[in-house]
Amino acid sequence: MTSDARERLWDAATYVIAVVIAAFFLVPLLWLLSLSLRTRQEVYLGAARFIPKHPTLANFEQILSDPAFITYLWNGLKLSALGGIGCLLVAAPAAYAFSRFHFQSRSSLMMSILAFQMVSPLVILVPLYRYMSSLGLLDGHFGVTMVYIAVSLPMAVWLLKSSIDGIPKSLEEAAEIDGCSRFGIFWRITLPLVAPGLASAFILIMILNWSQFLVPFLLLSTDSKLPISVAIFTFAGTSNASSTQVLAAACLVAVVPAIVAFLLLQRMIVGALTAGAVKG
Amino acid sequence: MTMTGAAVAGGRGEIARTSLRRRIESHPFSWLLPVALLLGVFYLYPIIDVFRLAFTNASLRGGEEHYTVDSIRALIANPILLDILWTTFVFTAGSVIGQQLFGLGIAVLVMRGERRRLYGMTALRTLVLVAWVIPGIANGLIWQMLFSEAPFGAINSVLRMMHVQPVAWLSDPNIAMVSSIISNVWRGTAFSMIVFYAALKAIDTTLYEAASVDGANGWQRFRFITLPQMRPAILVNSILITIATLNTFDAIISLTGGGPGRATEVLSLYTFNTVFRNLDLAGGSVLSVLMLVISLVLAVGYASMMPRREANE
Repeated sequence: MTSDARERLWDAATYVIAVVIAAFFLVPLLWLLSLSLRTRQEVYLGAARFIPKHPTLANFEQILSDPAFITYLWNGLKLSALGGIGCLLVAAPAAYAFSRFHFQSRSSLMMSILAFQMVSPLVILVPLYRYMSSLGLLDGHFGVTMVYIAVSLPMAVWLLKSSIDGIPKSLEEAAEIDGCSRFGIFWRITLPLVAPGLASAFILIMILNWSQFLVPFLLLSTDSKLPISVAIFTFAGTSNASSTQVLAAACLVAVVPAIVAFLLLQRMIVGALTAGAVKG
Repeated sequence: MTMTGAAVAGGRGEIARTSLRRRIESHPFSWLLPVALLLGVFYLYPIIDVFRLAFTNASLRGGEEHYTVDSIRALIANPILLDILWTTFVFTAGSVIGQQLFGLGIAVLVMRGERRRLYGMTALRTLVLVAWVIPGIANGLIWQMLFSEAPFGAINSVLRMMHVQPVAWLSDPNIAMVSSIISNVWRGTAFSMIVFYAALKAIDTTLYEAASVDGANGWQRFRFITLPQMRPAILVNSILITIATLNTFDAIISLTGGGPGRATEVLSLYTFNTVFRNLDLAGGSVLSVLMLVISLVLAVGYASMMPRREANE
C-alpha cells in the first residue's frame, strides 16, 4: 500500500472517530431539546419519539410566561454581570502591576494568588456563612456579588496579566515622557489597548458566574432573589415524571445563554485560555 | 509680594502632593491593594477561621463554643470517613484518567484532521467545548434524563427497543459511580482537550520531519516525540483537573444527590451535608481542612512543575 493510500485510509478513520465523538457530545443536548419539545404523552414514549410527532412549544411558553422564571433569569444575568465588572475593576490594576513593575516578590505573589484558585468555594463558605449572617449580608445580592468577585479574581488577574504582557510598552513610555501619571497611563492607554483581553475575560467570568451554584444556593434564601442555576435545581426537586418536559425546557433556557455567549466569542475565549494555560 | 509668596507656597504644596502621589503610584503594592483586600477578607481569613473552628465544638445552631479536639477525634473514629475518601478517590481517579485520555485523543484527532485539511474539525472542537460551558447543575439534570430508568430515560429506552435488559444507571451503587464519572467526563474533557491542543500546536514540526527521515512510523512518532514533548502539559493538566474534580459538587448533587445510599457521596458533598444539613460547623471545618490539605499537596506539586518564566525574561 502506498503511503498516500494509507493516509487516505487514516482520513476515513479520522472521520469515523470524529462522528462517534461528536455523537457523544451532541446526543445529551439533543435529547434535552427533544424532551422539551414533547407533549406529556410523548415523553412516555422515550427514544421511539426522538423526533416528536407532535412537537410543541407549550413547555417554553409555560416557563417563559411565568414571572418568577423571568426573575430567576434576570437575577442570574445581574449577578453574573456585576460579578464580572467588579472582578475586572479589582483585577486590572493588579494585573498591570504584575506585568509592568519589576519587584522582588512578583512571581511568588502571582503563585500565591493562583493558589487561592485551588481552594474550593465550599471551604471558604463554611466560615463565611456565619460572618455574613452576623453582618446581615445573607440573602442579599451584594454579599453574593462580593463572593463571586473573590472567587473569579485569581483567574482574572492571570488572564489580564498575560493580555497586558502582549501589548507593546512603547506607547506607555511615550506617555510617561509627556508627563502622564502612572495611573493616567494605565487608565487612558493600557486599558483601551487591552480592551479585547478585557472583553474575553469578562465573557469567560460571566459564563462561570452563570454556572455558579454553591454560593447563591447557600447565601440566598428568598425565592425572588435566586439566580437560574439554583432555581432549576429547586424546580428539579419538586418536579416529577409528568413534568419532565417542562424541566427539560427550563434546563435548555438556562443552558442556551452560556452556549450562545461562548459561540459568539469562541475565538477570543479559546485564545485567552490557551495563552494562559501552558506557555512552557 | 505676598501674593507671589502664596503662589509659591501653593506651588510647593502641589509639588509635595504630586510627589506623594507619584510615590504611591510607583509602588506596586498600592496597585495590588484591592486584590489583597478581597482575597484577604474572602479567602485568607475564612481559611484561618476554618482551622480555628476545626478545634472547637461550633455548631450552626449556636450555643456556647469552646476549644476542643473532640470534633477531630469524632471524625477519625467515624467509619464513614474511609468510605467517603474511597468514593472520592474512585470518582476523581476515574474522571481524571477519563478526561485526559479522551482529551488527548480528541486533540490528536483534531490536529491530524487539520493537518490533512479535513472538514468539520473546528466544529468538533467547538462541540466538545460547548459541553464545558454547561452549568454543573444542568449537567447533572441532563444526564439524569439520559440515565433515568423511567420511560423517558434515553439510554434505557434505546436498550428496550433493542430488546436488551435495561441498566440500573442511577439506582445500583456500583453503576451509579460509573454514571457519575461518565457525566463528569462529558463536561470536563474540553479543558484537557484545549490544554493538550495548545501543547500539540507548540511542538516544533521539524522534530517530526527529522523522525520521518529516520523512518519512524506513526506510533513511534507519537511515543518518542509527542508524549515526551507533552509531558509538562500532561503533568500540569492532571493536577489542575484533579483539584477541579475534588471540588465538584453541583454536578453530583443534581445527578445522584450522593446516592444511592452513600455510593456517590464525595468529600465535598459530605462536607456540605455535615455543615448545612447536620449544622455541625466544627465537623465540617475538620473536613474542610482535609480538603485544603489535599489541594495544598497537589498545588505544591503544581508549583514545582510550573516553567520558570522569570528566568527567560
